[in-house]
Amino acid sequence: MINSTYPGLVWKTNKGFTIFSMFFIVFMQFLILYIITTIDTTSIITSILSQLPEKVRIFINDSFLSTLTFDGAAAFGLNHPTVIAIVAIAAINIPVRHISREIEDGTMELLLSHPFKRTSLIFKLWISGSLILLVIAVTGFLSSVFAIQIFHDLTTTIGWRLAQICINFWLLFMVIMSYTLLIATASKAGSFAGNLSAGITLMLYLLFFIGQLWDAIAFLKPYSIFTYFQPQKLMFGQGDFWGDILVLFCVALVCFAGSIWFFNRRDIP
Amino acid sequence: MPPDKIISVENVTKYYGKAIGVRDISFDVQEGEIFGFLGPNGAGKTTTIRLLLDLLRPTSGLLKLFGMNVSAHSFQIRKKCGYLPGEFTALSNLTGLEFFRLLSGLRQSHDKPNHDFLDRFGLSKQILHRKIRHLSHGTIQKLGIIQALMNDPELLILDEPTTGLDPLMQEVFYELLLERQNNGCTIFFSSHILMEVERLCSHVAIIKNGEIVGREVMADLKNKAERIIEITLSHPVADLKLPNAILKNSNGLTYTFAVDGGIEGLLTGLAKLPVADISISKPGLENLFMKYYTDTEND
Repeated sequence: MINSTYPGLVWKTNKGFTIFSMFFIVFMQFLILYIITTIDTTSIITSILSQLPEKVRIFINDSFLSTLTFDGAAAFGLNHPTVIAIVAIAAINIPVRHISREIEDGTMELLLSHPFKRTSLIFKLWISGSLILLVIAVTGFLSSVFAIQIFHDLTTTIGWRLAQICINFWLLFMVIMSYTLLIATASKAGSFAGNLSAGITLMLYLLFFIGQLWDAIAFLKPYSIFTYFQPQKLMFGQGDFWGDILVLFCVALVCFAGSIWFFNRRDIP
Repeated sequence: MPPDKIISVENVTKYYGKAIGVRDISFDVQEGEIFGFLGPNGAGKTTTIRLLLDLLRPTSGLLKLFGMNVSAHSFQIRKKCGYLPGEFTALSNLTGLEFFRLLSGLRQSHDKPNHDFLDRFGLSKQILHRKIRHLSHGTIQKLGIIQALMNDPELLILDEPTTGLDPLMQEVFYELLLERQNNGCTIFFSSHILMEVERLCSHVAIIKNGEIVGREVMADLKNKAERIIEITLSHPVADLKLPNAILKNSNGLTYTFAVDGGIEGLLTGLAKLPVADISISKPGLENLFMKYYTDTEND
């Protein structure tokens, strides 16, 4: 019975926000694809873009203009800042709730007084968190597939590219969850881990965007995880899918290994 | 080695950064004992308990449970232990039943809370189906006690276990502990309540400012404790003095003495006096414990 297991506890604790995230993604995908198919957004946006500086125009063209096609819009639904923000909150919440807050309120002390290895706790938390994020990513994939089928025409190529985007999307948030886990296992109890992780995520997001606009810091772009998540490029067959997921997976794995190392050495106050 | 020493703490020191948690503490707990661990708030009781369970790692020293090194065999040790944390907080989004199931799951056992325990603590099915966050502090404490006893542990470690329990439930708890002891369980518990320590424990250790300031067998402690003796003489006696006794007050031929330590010498002294009536109060440990606390404060 799932309730009698640690992953069951993780699911029960995070169920509410996970379901909200799933509904939000479905809503965004249908809304974006509905707007694209019913309103002539191309002429509106093109006229606005023509008034912007060239650098900004190129950047917006890369990031957003592609969304003016139907396929691009489907990819944009999974890259929309509000979607990123909501799923990032879900990813940050999982380790913060189950490490930082449980240490703070004393339930970690209770759990670890049982024959439950610290490594096992971190492993089960990481796997459970990954599955929760996978459920959100699969929801994103299915809602995109259904929305395209309803408003347009689903082809095998689009289906495969959407699947790639969803794997990429899942691994991006796995990385966010994993470095939050690393921070939570290495830091003191309380809200510090959540705040720091949210700050790092925002900084990496800004670094990626500013890096595209400002040449002086463009060399920092490879250090942002968002560089390895570009759904529009994947949708148009321009991205490096295998390279991106390899980088994200390795970062997640290193953070996970670091979490086990720190958690096994720390005091549970 | 046959583990007749269930707990062995040797010269353990724990620092939190520069702050001291416990300093050079040593004590043993034998199999089948109920061992009381006493001390004021912040003395180091909870730190010691967390060190025993490998939740904290000692700065120096050696801790052994069941003859095994705590840091090397923590998993095997925790299989044999039941633990009730101080200020017990359960996972508030679970029901009582889910909470017990989760803990059984962690032990990979199918132990269910003993129905007899549940009945004795008045935990009905209705209560167990409620979310823990909707339960009272006392009821949550009962869940804590039951989870500690659930897997029939060989060693029970309890951190101020009667906090939040009403006197009736405290009584039930004391009975349960004595039953567990009769079944061979060793019990280590910290407490502020001297009455329960006096009633339950065979051995005690007193900790203050992170250091053990006293280790006593309860029977010896009772012998050391101050007794109040009131005697009424049949006729006046000049220069009345009794061995080991201090005259506290007198009223006509009635004298009240405080007797510190053994009473053998006192009885010899009394035999020489024209005693018409005598009453001896049961020794109270409070003064003795207070003496431990204040003595070290004055050091």
